[in-house]
Amino acid sequence: MVASSAPVEQYNYDIVRKFTIMALVWGVLGMTAGVYIASELTWPFLNFNIPEITFGRLRPVHTTLVIFGFGGSALFATSYYVVQRTCQTRLFSDGMANFTFWGWNLSVGLAAISYMLGYTQAREYAEMVWPIDLLIAVTWVVYLVIYVMTLRKRSQPHIYVANWFFIAFILATALLHIFNNMAVPVHMFSLESYSLHAGVQDAMTQWWYGHNAVGFFLTAAFLGMMYYFIPKQVGRPVYSYRLSIIHFWALIFLYMWVGGHHLHWTALPDWASTLAAGFSILLLMPSWGGMINGIMTLSGAWDKLRTDPIIRFMIVSLSFYGMSTFEGPLMSLKSVNALSHYTDWTVGHVHSGALGWVAMVSFGSFYHLIPRLWGTKMYSEKLIFAHFWLATIGIVLYIAALWVAGIGQGLMLRGFDEYGNLAYTFIESVSFLYEPYAVRAFGGALFLTGILLMFYNTMMTIRKSKKEQAEIDAKVAAKLANA
Amino acid sequence: MSSEKSKPTVQTTGHAWDGDLQEFNNPLPTWWLWTFYATVVFAIIYWVLYPAWPVGGSYTKGMMNDITYTTADGKTKTTHWNTRALLLKEMQIAREEQAEYLKDINALSFEQIRSKPEKSAFANSMAKVLFADNCAACHQSGGDGVMGRYPNLLDDAWLWGGSFDKIQETIANGRTGSMPGFKASLSTKQISDVSDYVLSLSGNEADAAAVKRGQAIFSGQGGCAACHGADAKGQDFMGSANLTDKIWTIADVSGAETAAAKKEAVMNVVKNGKTRVMPAWKGRLSATEIKILTYYVHQLGGGK
Repeated sequence: MVASSAPVEQYNYDIVRKFTIMALVWGVLGMTAGVYIASELTWPFLNFNIPEITFGRLRPVHTTLVIFGFGGSALFATSYYVVQRTCQTRLFSDGMANFTFWGWNLSVGLAAISYMLGYTQAREYAEMVWPIDLLIAVTWVVYLVIYVMTLRKRSQPHIYVANWFFIAFILATALLHIFNNMAVPVHMFSLESYSLHAGVQDAMTQWWYGHNAVGFFLTAAFLGMMYYFIPKQVGRPVYSYRLSIIHFWALIFLYMWVGGHHLHWTALPDWASTLAAGFSILLLMPSWGGMINGIMTLSGAWDKLRTDPIIRFMIVSLSFYGMSTFEGPLMSLKSVNALSHYTDWTVGHVHSGALGWVAMVSFGSFYHLIPRLWGTKMYSEKLIFAHFWLATIGIVLYIAALWVAGIGQGLMLRGFDEYGNLAYTFIESVSFLYEPYAVRAFGGALFLTGILLMFYNTMMTIRKSKKEQAEIDAKVAAKLANA
Repeated sequence: MSSEKSKPTVQTTGHAWDGDLQEFNNPLPTWWLWTFYATVVFAIIYWVLYPAWPVGGSYTKGMMNDITYTTADGKTKTTHWNTRALLLKEMQIAREEQAEYLKDINALSFEQIRSKPEKSAFANSMAKVLFADNCAACHQSGGDGVMGRYPNLLDDAWLWGGSFDKIQETIANGRTGSMPGFKASLSTKQISDVSDYVLSLSGNEADAAAVKRGQAIFSGQGGCAACHGADAKGQDFMGSANLTDKIWTIADVSGAETAAAKKEAVMNVVKNGKTRVMPAWKGRLSATEIKILTYYVHQLGGGK
């Protein structure tokens, strides 16, 4: 493709490159933390009695680095790339884009350090203390402004579908972040704060946030990524415009209702939890709409699966997306939830979405993007194939192990013997987890090895690009000198 | 794009972005649409059955008005489906099913329970959970305790006696076992001699002369015999240890590798003493639960 070299000046690729590199850096760090805490669960001596690296503190480090560090940076990178190319215009402001780069990465870094030092709000996926929340809020509003203003100055009559998803994600995330983090600091110089909400309402607000972080951050936004990079990589039009409209509006309308399914069988009123379960079932087909649109776009190009590792990443990511959006509504039913809640099944479900869908579609998109950003081919295609297999086998091991762990745990915790006494003690359900946990840690390690290969491959590609550029410069200089 | 030509029947929307990005205008897949309608029907049924929609200050109660349970003041109540009533009902059923067994456990003596396999199996089944919830935190889930801190219940040397009555008393009222430290009243030399004597009682090697001096201190100036008895076999009414068996609960003699380390372990206890407390469970557990635990613990190791 010639598209890469000519319009470098036309679009702001510098910001896309920076976010791409940071996505990989956070990805490597966050997944390393993930494999480490999975190992701590299996072999607890790894806590070494050092408070900073105990499971309780490293766990939010892991989730924050992979969701916001890796996922967030991947979304900044791809959304800035997609909005420029589909609007055929440069970003609204380079300075503001750089501000989002520093604001975002500083937030992620400070969050990780503060958790290790023991500072947390104790809200899942929103553990950041209030000063970091403020920094994120400002960064995010600037992101929204850049995005809206870039769309406004587009030189295309229509707004491409990927941008609908990105804008929905940016808007919803702003809402969620601000409302869930409303808190009063203990005093001006304290990192601690009191939530503005209380009791079960606080829990409900937290899970309204928590599930929509999944819905808008980890789903809608990555669908935006999918809608650009799949048709681009396959070279075929999107399967159905109509389906994209219907499933877009259904998705963003329905997601807002379902947070309550995280609070089944708790103090949350029964009506609120039923309501959430019903809407969760309604979400199944709108989610699958995205999967169908992606897979049908790929159909007709199946032969490319044999030769193009990028398309493999994409088809596997869509399959996992379909699988986990089927599993989710199932787990949101009260009767299924009674078994699955508080077990590792939930953790497995999250990872089938996070590794299978979010990470795989990001890898595929990055392998499409990186050669175009640095104007050269990837350093090694073999390494991309290796990455694909490591990641895929890693996820399968991970999820299967946690199905065994979670369903086993659930059955043991509710098992009664013939006299109506509990059949198992709690500790028996814990020691049962040893083998599944070991397999899970191994699966995670495979996945981590995959992203390490990608990191190496990317760094070598950048080096190659610089070398090639230097050679061209030298040739030009020599020609000029001869002339 | 070439692929577009291969599908001439389907139209694109006519827009193009970024060069070659286009969209077909395929209709919604029929199976997708019908499955979506099916989920709508499912959701509506779910909402009709369970409490679901807020209306004014209340909410729709759902069609399942089938949870019947007895309230604390003995009234029978039937209510719409809700998690709290469901829990109360299930707990009630469980209690009713176990009531028969518990009545028998209360009425029978320990020996009678032991002679009836079904009662014994019930007691052990319930005791396993009670032990894990209440006792295992100190005595460990297998009951083997922690050397120096929490007694091992699997060995055969119980400080406070292993009869049913003694065990029941221990669990109900708790125990405080206390050995004073002797570093103020005895010299280091004397403590060393006494320790040699104590070690020799269970067949550990020790200097003969020191053992002789130690024996004199044990029954004389040291006052050890007052609690451990003249024969050093301990007295279970006060929880003093039998020093003549090879079982150690505070000084880790069996875990020490060298003779010097064994002596060091014993000397430490003589010097500093040791106080251990088992809390009373009366008031936290019912009399029946204590009886069941007694029956269970009796089988572990030191039951007499």
